[in-house]
Amino acid sequence: MRYLMMSKPSDQPADENLYAEMGKFIEELTAAGVLLATGGLEAGGVRVTSVGDEITVTDGPFTEAKEAVAGFALVEVRSRAEAIELTRRFRRIVGDGESVIQEVFGP
Amino acid sequence: MTDVAARIDAVVKLESARIVAALMRIVHDVGLAEELAQDALVAALEQWPAAGVPENPGAWLMTIAKRRAVDHIRRSRLHERKAEQHARELDQAAPASERDDVLRLMFISCHPVLPTEARVALTLRVVGGLTAAEIARAFLVTEPVVARRLATAKRTLAEARVPFALPEADDLPPRLSSVLEVIYLIFNEGYSASSGDDLIRPALCLEALRLGRLLADLAPGEGEVHGLVALMEIQASRAAARTGPAGEPIQLHEQNRGRWDQLLIRRGFTAMLRAREIGGTPGPYVLQAAIAVCHAQAHTAQDTDWARIAALYDALARLRPTPIVQLNRAVAVGMARGPQAGLDLADALLTDPALRDYHLLPGVRGDLLARLGRAGEARREFERAAGLARNAAEGAFLRRRADEITVAEAAGRTLGEAAAEFLARENLDAATLRSYGQTLTRLCRAVGARLPLAELTAERVAEACATAWGDAAPRTWNRHVSAIRSFSAWASTADPAPGSAAAPGLGSAAAPGLGSTVGSGLGSEAGPRPGSEAGPRPGSAVGLGPDSAARVGFAAGLGRRPETGARTAPLGGPDLDGLWERADVALRERTLWRLLHESGATVRAVLGLNVEDLDQEDRRGRSGDGFVSWRSGTARLLPELLAGRTRGPVFLADRRPGPARMPAEADRCPETGRGRLSYERAEYLFKQATGTTLHRLKPR
Repeated sequence: MRYLMMSKPSDQPADENLYAEMGKFIEELTAAGVLLATGGLEAGGVRVTSVGDEITVTDGPFTEAKEAVAGFALVEVRSRAEAIELTRRFRRIVGDGESVIQEVFGP
Repeated sequence: MTDVAARIDAVVKLESARIVAALMRIVHDVGLAEELAQDALVAALEQWPAAGVPENPGAWLMTIAKRRAVDHIRRSRLHERKAEQHARELDQAAPASERDDVLRLMFISCHPVLPTEARVALTLRVVGGLTAAEIARAFLVTEPVVARRLATAKRTLAEARVPFALPEADDLPPRLSSVLEVIYLIFNEGYSASSGDDLIRPALCLEALRLGRLLADLAPGEGEVHGLVALMEIQASRAAARTGPAGEPIQLHEQNRGRWDQLLIRRGFTAMLRAREIGGTPGPYVLQAAIAVCHAQAHTAQDTDWARIAALYDALARLRPTPIVQLNRAVAVGMARGPQAGLDLADALLTDPALRDYHLLPGVRGDLLARLGRAGEARREFERAAGLARNAAEGAFLRRRADEITVAEAAGRTLGEAAAEFLARENLDAATLRSYGQTLTRLCRAVGARLPLAELTAERVAEACATAWGDAAPRTWNRHVSAIRSFSAWASTADPAPGSAAAPGLGSAAAPGLGSTVGSGLGSEAGPRPGSEAGPRPGSAVGLGPDSAARVGFAAGLGRRPETGARTAPLGGPDLDGLWERADVALRERTLWRLLHESGATVRAVLGLNVEDLDQEDRRGRSGDGFVSWRSGTARLLPELLAGRTRGPVFLADRRPGPARMPAEADRCPETGRGRLSYERAEYLFKQATGTTLHRLKPR
């Protein structure tokens, strides 16, 4: 089963060490065939809303930036417990903050 | 929050390969390494719920497991210094060698000394971290079966002293191909599972993909590894699209390509590119992957580059001329070069015993015949395919394809109807009925029950028989030949409608007047046809025999085979005397063989005897519901064999059983702990000593 792990932006500055550890972690997960895709997201972005026939396009940044997603990883695992376990390892590397994992269905 | 057990399970599965591989470096024995890893898991189960899960659970498990391994080495009286040296080595081991350890572990768990199913089970266990119960569920066998496979595999590896090393250069190709075979087998086991009530079977695909991706990372210079990964990624990309809402299969050209998983397709393409970069002559996996890539590249079914696919199949068939590859090649050639070219290839497979029950052969032929406008034959092939399909959804799909073809109802009785009437006659006893039934069921399955009897030719029957029973024992062959001859004689002479004992339903199927149609239809087939296989089959026939009158019609191509009979006749006096006097036979065997001969009881009954049920005075013992009695020869030997034992099996195995194959209490000696001697072992020992089977000890 696939899970999308989304992480919220963190206040802590990233240092060399964090980059190195993250690189190692990503490499390991890729080699194990677990990590399918990963990437970071720009802050803000563009919001497109529709109400009736009306479509509104708004440029960021938005006030609730804390709730936005800053990065994601798509993992293929055997169980929810495995997805959680991987997320624990990720959180231990990146420090304080929050990630959300949700199962992906389809295509 | 998830409970600790689920967490432990997840950690163990994620870390299993690394932990077992690291332990292998210390103890050099897969069985032991796996047990030690298991110990670490048990320790986690004991400590984590109370003390909390450690911050780095994988490292915790690894530390505990390594500590146990070093303890084990100390205990096993190996030189203490060596153990400490090991421990030092471990701490200094670079991460790069840890990766190589996992690769070594894969080569060992897929070692060619193991039978295929043992390789599969062991790989899933030690590299994939699956439990025996999970493997059992995935392969639809019981847990003890998997436990036994694992135990045997570990023992075999230990006995063969397989080193914990990467294969030498000239040994690499076969060893690597064994690893690839195991991974692809696991993948196919999951892929061929019907979309399921039990998700563990489809999960095998994921397991295989992970193993493949892992291997591609560990052995990046091997084109075939990337070929296999590409093949699996692309096949897996179609998983969602290949079954309909009711679980019915959807053929590739009818699949909704929007449901193909583009992420996996892209991964497949990437793996394929890596295989191409490595270059060299493409192996079977690269060729299969190239075919999969062709399909994945076509945006619509019409865009498919069949010419290229057919050419790839030509190359693959040269490399791996398996029946399945040939059949797929027939499909591709049928698309690229026209249905007749495809049918020619498919027809050549009709006599292949490996495909005799494979529903897709008639399925493919039906498709090609339909495209050639041969509607009647096409329909019959689809019906035959539907009857052979093991998956209900697939069967229904094939039946629908048959029903879509409209054909003018053929005149005359079908083979199936005739067979039913033949079997419904009153004068058949139960045993004959059963025997004839088996033969005719198989015949109907091979040529199609809906085939008009008049169109059943001697060649087709001979072909079907050779495919079905060609390598059977002469006796079996002759039994089937007799049944078909009898059926043929009945069909050609009897007017089945009047006086037949057919059940009402069957009677109405053979409406009055049909009999004569059949008769005249058969008349034209009756004589031995020039150029047909009417003559005795080379090397198999014993001449015409007294029943040559029956050798007309569609049985004309069948000859009886000589039966030796030597395999089943009881051993004669001189043989036996020689046997009793042999000095090289152990006491247990001497007693067993005597007892079998004197009692005339079955091997199972004799092996089932228990000491407490013996009445040595009366020379008999109770076994199951009956009694086994003996004479003086056995009576002389028994006291020595029992040696004062008062309970448990009379005939005991040589050694105490290992923990993985502990027999039930009733089959164990309470004094020595040894299990009951097995039939297989007893038969094996007799065969070693005499070259024949235990049954022949039984007097006539």
